[in-house]
Amino acid sequence: MMNTRGIEKISRIKGGTLSSEYYFQTLLEQAYMSGMLSDIQLEKIQFDCLSLLAKQTERYNSGGSSSIQVEAAQSLLTSIMFTIGVWLKTYPNPDEAVAVMQKDGIYVLYQNGRKRIDRLIKSAKMLHSSIMGNLVQTGNVYYRSVIVDGIEDFFKLYYPEFAAQEIHITADYPVHHMMEQLAGIEFIQKYLECIYYENLFCAQFPAEDVHHLLCGYDEHYEHFLFNIYEPVLSAAIGCILSGRDAYRLEMVPSSTKILSDLFRGKTRTEIDEIIMEAVGRLSALMELTEPLKRYLVGSLPQIATAIEKAVLLQTLDRVFILPKYPENNTKLIFSFGEKMDDKKYRKVIEEIMQCRYLKDKKALIKSEIHSLADLEDILLDAELYEEETLSILSELNPAEIAALVKKHPMPSVLDRYELRESEIELCECLQKFLAMLPEKQQDLIKQAVAMLEV
Amino acid sequence: MAFELSLISGALVKKQAVNEVMKCNDLTSKFSLVLTEAQALALVETRSFALKGNGRIEFGGGVIDKIINEFCDSPYLSMHNYEETLHELLEIFYHYKNETLDLMSDDDLIKYMKNAFNGICQGSLELLSERELYKLARNLRYGYAPDYSDDIIELDEDEEAEYDEYEGY
Repeated sequence: MMNTRGIEKISRIKGGTLSSEYYFQTLLEQAYMSGMLSDIQLEKIQFDCLSLLAKQTERYNSGGSSSIQVEAAQSLLTSIMFTIGVWLKTYPNPDEAVAVMQKDGIYVLYQNGRKRIDRLIKSAKMLHSSIMGNLVQTGNVYYRSVIVDGIEDFFKLYYPEFAAQEIHITADYPVHHMMEQLAGIEFIQKYLECIYYENLFCAQFPAEDVHHLLCGYDEHYEHFLFNIYEPVLSAAIGCILSGRDAYRLEMVPSSTKILSDLFRGKTRTEIDEIIMEAVGRLSALMELTEPLKRYLVGSLPQIATAIEKAVLLQTLDRVFILPKYPENNTKLIFSFGEKMDDKKYRKVIEEIMQCRYLKDKKALIKSEIHSLADLEDILLDAELYEEETLSILSELNPAEIAALVKKHPMPSVLDRYELRESEIELCECLQKFLAMLPEKQQDLIKQAVAMLEV
Repeated sequence: MAFELSLISGALVKKQAVNEVMKCNDLTSKFSLVLTEAQALALVETRSFALKGNGRIEFGGGVIDKIINEFCDSPYLSMHNYEETLHELLEIFYHYKNETLDLMSDDDLIKYMKNAFNGICQGSLELLSERELYKLARNLRYGYAPDYSDDIIELDEDEEAEYDEYEGY
């Protein structure tokens, strides 16, 4: 008996020529070009669509207006075609979809599409609530803002009757799999599926270990827009290949060396085989379900590409990240001290501003100012020239300079809009002062700045 | 494949619209207002231009017959200015459909136009378009009632000031 599994029926329209986002439109186009639809049949379909648009316009206007803005009508028509496309996609063979289009008529297809969209909304809501109960415990702001708030907003705003093709949210948080071009609820459904599997995989590891691993990616990863699952999966594969405990994601510098030796000189196919085998061992070790295993396998091409490039550039430590423990970093705490009474400060600043010579200003500062907090205010408020500020800074010790640099780092172009002119000037003076110091002293101050907490 | 919205405006649709306009003659002839077929066709074409110019699309018979039925008993319409006024009214109508952000239904907007035209504007299309409908559109955009007017507030304030003056005596 012949094995018929995997044999596809020959179709006149190739699936690859159809767009996932504009399925109905591209199906019509291909059907017309391949001769499956005649001119008359095509015109009838177009006319039916416009009749449906007229009905939808009437509903959209609540029967109160016979005309509508062209943009609104175009959006309604796109919604209609998207809805029909959602239904036609349920037919595995495009030829069958064209046959159904001719047999059932546009209105029936639209109604079926609406029902399918309603079902998709329900299943997406269920998937979302299941994701909400299984979120990765991470402080990454984008992860939470998209998966919790963004998706909730989508469900609030989504209106399949008149705008089924809209996504409304930007879904900034990237998923690891390449998302095909989709629209409306189809996009959200696919996006949530990816998030669901990624969460499921990340949940295999203690939240603390994931946090330390991500700190290895960057200590400020909370504010970075990146996919959390990718470094976790890479690290788990790295642990398996270097003989470390995959459950702890605890790679050490020697693991990178082992991996570097393992991948050096390997072809792409060999890399694929190595990581595929590692994922097999990982799945067996963690007893992962088949769908999750499939998702992991689907992620491997991207990871293999990253490994291939990293081997060439000798940056394998950026693919297989080593965990970092910021809580173990040495911290220096620096206090700016207490500020003086406002009345007294006003008097001092007035006196300083009235001084003609720098030496008098410095003498006043030395006699009246006893904390770095007050000195900082003076530097900001006394309207000093650049050379005066530099001269005052030269009187300070390196620790005080480091504290000031920490508090007034060089602002970015965007930050400049939020800062006062005097603040920007102080930042620039500090950088200029640093540049004038010997290189060794500069390095010491920079190290201190990294460790300081003010 | 172009899926053009303009497909809807075919010759058939135009002919149907002309017939609908011609049917209005049954009612308007009582007021000595009659349109010829050429005039009806010109009105349908003005509708198409007005729709295109204002970035709108219309399904069904449109509003020409509604405007005719509403305005035909106006004391400011006669055979001399009937067709010309209808052309103007059509253009004004579609312009203010956009300006009022579609917040008013066709019927309500036509009724408002008729009341203003016959009342405060005394048959002036310029006053109707540039003053009354302008005010209406502004009120709707800012969330006021359609007939809200700043003048009323000023008048009230003046009255109050006068009242206070009298109270002083």
